[in-house]
Amino acid sequence: MNILTIALRNARKKWVRTSLLLLVFSLGVVSIVALSFVSRVVGEGLEKKLVSFGANILVSPKSEKLTVSYGGFALGDMLFDVTYLDEAATEAKINAIALRKNISVIAPKLVVLDRVAGVPAAIVGVRFDREKLLKGYWTVAQGDFPTKPEGLLVGSAAAAKLGLKLGDAVPLAVAGGGSAGSQLVVQGILAPTGSEDDNVLLGDLGYLQRVTHRPSKVNFVEVAALCSACPIDDIVSQLGTVLPDTEIKTLRGIVQQRMVSVLFVKKLILSVSLVILLTGCSMVGISMLSAVNERKKEIGILRSLGFSRRSVFAIFSAEAAAVGLLAGLVGYVAGYFVSFRILAVLELESTAPLPFEPLHLVATALVLALLTSLASLFPAWKAASIEPSEALVTL
Amino acid sequence: MSTDAILLQALDITKSFSQDGTPAQALKGVSLGVAAGEFVSLVGRSGSGKSTFVSVLSTLLKPDSGQLLYNGQDLALAGEAEIDAIRHRDFAVIFQFHYLLPYLTALENTLLPFMRGLRPVTRVQKARAFECLERVGLADKAQRLPGQLSGGEQQRVAIARALVKDARVLFADEPTGSLDSATGATVMELLAGIRGDGLSVVMVTHNEEYARLADRVVRMEDGLVV
Ligand SMILES: Nc1ncnc2c1ncn2[C@@H]1O[C@H](COP(=O)(O)OP(=O)(O)OP(=O)(O)O)[C@@H](O)[C@H]1O
Ligand SMILES: [Mg+2]
Repeated sequence: MNILTIALRNARKKWVRTSLLLLVFSLGVVSIVALSFVSRVVGEGLEKKLVSFGANILVSPKSEKLTVSYGGFALGDMLFDVTYLDEAATEAKINAIALRKNISVIAPKLVVLDRVAGVPAAIVGVRFDREKLLKGYWTVAQGDFPTKPEGLLVGSAAAAKLGLKLGDAVPLAVAGGGSAGSQLVVQGILAPTGSEDDNVLLGDLGYLQRVTHRPSKVNFVEVAALCSACPIDDIVSQLGTVLPDTEIKTLRGIVQQRMVSVLFVKKLILSVSLVILLTGCSMVGISMLSAVNERKKEIGILRSLGFSRRSVFAIFSAEAAAVGLLAGLVGYVAGYFVSFRILAVLELESTAPLPFEPLHLVATALVLALLTSLASLFPAWKAASIEPSEALVTL
Repeated sequence: MSTDAILLQALDITKSFSQDGTPAQALKGVSLGVAAGEFVSLVGRSGSGKSTFVSVLSTLLKPDSGQLLYNGQDLALAGEAEIDAIRHRDFAVIFQFHYLLPYLTALENTLLPFMRGLRPVTRVQKARAFECLERVGLADKAQRLPGQLSGGEQQRVAIARALVKDARVLFADEPTGSLDSATGATVMELLAGIRGDGLSVVMVTHNEEYARLADRVVRMEDGLVV
């Protein structure tokens, strides 16, 4: 039993008021905590998608016109004015930049135009091992990833349009002049991806380079950075320095757009939470102020027993701080579990488990305690300035 | 009575309250000396200034003029911390309406003087508080809240609280004022018994019979001692 007993007992006696304050503050904390947990998970998920959705950076030869495009690379230009990058040299240069550690995948590509049963089609030569890393969302609907050099992986829309089935042969009748009688074989058909991959045929880059007599030639290189937050602009400028004759573009499109909307929602909820907390603070202030008037006599007794002004101030502050402390603890724990529910509703639970951080719990409780004591600063000061005579003289 | 035996001395105290703009003088130059261990009763008609005077004597109300000496020290010159210390250590006040904190038990209310700081109440202090409750006949009700006690019992808890800290002066403003005569008599018996402790007592009362229990009866009239 000490001076805090006085504060806590009163809070317990006025349990309706105390629990109301607790409720408001806990609600504010719950929304802030749940928000930060959820937005962290969603953000991490989006970041993963940002990598898996495709390259962040596209390295291509300098070109003027843009018409038909795949992956941002202008296919139309190729018909008239085809320029190539040297695969080995380009890769070596990319590997040499200072920010290499932020690059996860380098995926070179060669686009070959072909006719399948009279219909023009694009065959994109890729390194399948790298492409799989780049496009984590790929699933093969039929067959498998090509195992043979002449194997083809066909996009879902292309397969439908060209009537291609597993095992079908695709003769290579290239405008640019391929080896006579080169035959490609459909080994797999991609499930729809919603991307440009649906419309093309994907083959082994090395094989296509050989049969089209373009050794080590590629049309463009896709480069995936490790994260959305990493210094893309710096990577781009470093690439520009080592590859002066190329065009370097960043493609962060949709995902980044989503990131922006997540950030917006985050800000929105954050401001709502702040409003809740501010409302709570003014509730504490007002209820404390009326409590001070109600408890004038108590204050008089305490002063007559030799309690200093500081002690009286401390009693009122401690009561407010206790509410904040408890609300912080309850709110944090509740917010932790509420975020599980939210993630379940958003179907995002498969992502890495949320770490429960005791340090954050303590910090939240302390910050809330500070907030409520600040809110009760004026009432506590009023209480401290009450003269004992004022409180005790009965007329 | 020699002057150096005087523990508490009020000299020519005045105090006025402004009521509706016109100042009303409640104390018009009152002097009183209370010796160590002396029991003084203050009597007088309603409105004669008894409560005001007791409040001044107990440092709870600042006089407009005049001197208040405790142990030879001029309290007008004392700092707030010193006054707090005197209130804490040496003075005990019992009011007409047994002011207890409603959310603390009888025992905790008795212990209140020891709950000023962060230092927890000691076992010894607890035992002492229990003793005081025993003395006022409330040992069996130590864990009750004030709301679960009768008016007389509440006043006895207030007396226990006044006794718990070995005060040197006890101020009582109509301690039996809100009690029926039988209960008042028990409370008065207790207060009379306290004299054996060497405590000075200043008691305001309207009851002439109780006033006569004192060593000295001081009569006030219209803001003056007569
Ligand atoms: N806080 C105050 N504000 C204004 N006037 C006051 C105040 N306290 C006392 N008075 C006035 O001072 C005078 C003395 O009051 P006081 O309470 O000391 O009388 P009392 O002798 O204790 O009377 P009672 O026997 O009724 O308790 C009264 O006229 C009263 O109206
Ligand atoms: Mg009175």
